[in-house]
Amino acid sequence: MTLEVQTRQTEGGVTVVAPSGRLDVAGAPALKDAMNKVAQNGPPRVVIDMEGISFVDSTGLGSVIAALKQIRNRQGELRLAAPNQQVRVVLELTTLDKVFPYFATLEEALAGF
Amino acid sequence: MSTTNGAFEFRATFARLDEGLDILHRSVERLRAATGRESNDLGLLLFETALGEIGSNVLTHGRPTGTEQPVEYRLKFMQGVVEASLTDSGAPVHEHLAREMPGHESEAGRGLAMARSLLDELGYERDGGLNRWRLVKRL
Repeated sequence: MTLEVQTRQTEGGVTVVAPSGRLDVAGAPALKDAMNKVAQNGPPRVVIDMEGISFVDSTGLGSVIAALKQIRNRQGELRLAAPNQQVRVVLELTTLDKVFPYFATLEEALAGF
Repeated sequence: MSTTNGAFEFRATFARLDEGLDILHRSVERLRAATGRESNDLGLLLFETALGEIGSNVLTHGRPTGTEQPVEYRLKFMQGVVEASLTDSGAPVHEHLAREMPGHESEAGRGLAMARSLLDELGYERDGGLNRWRLVKRL
């Protein structure tokens, strides 16, 4: 299963990155590629919409950490939206839920961003 | 794959990363269906997360360059206990086994620490030129 990543811009200027599939050692490079392109376009406000992510592993998580560092280096901000139960378990197990503000839905992540 | 009296067994060999990961997740899906568990069954979800970590390590580091030596995989479930075994021909990994969870800034190195936390037992032994992994969780 390959990871597909779609990127779009909201009317409010927030970039929504929506990966779909497994964000694992095989899928992580696709998210990294997408985030590299996003980070080139000025101080970014980015939401990764995780609704389409069925499973995340530590390598996939590493690609999200890399994205966070990249965006913060450009004085931007990253939010995660709609992680499923497995993704939330992994974020909590690794205590990365303290680092990533995540929101139950994409709409909540975009509100006030 | 076989299912008898609530017990379940699945065996496979694979060599490519995508193929191997697909088979690992599919085997858990079959176990879930065979035992009538919900898609959000927490115990099985934790086991699958650990299996994904060890499986990806085996598939990325467990096959020496230039060889096509496949990974041997078995998943079984009996009397409420799920157990997976993976055998690969990569380099020994003793020095990585006790690795602690790295800090928040680290982009790698969490897999084994995660697997240890998620399982009741994570076994590893070096057997000749083979690495033998054993993952056990009571559901």
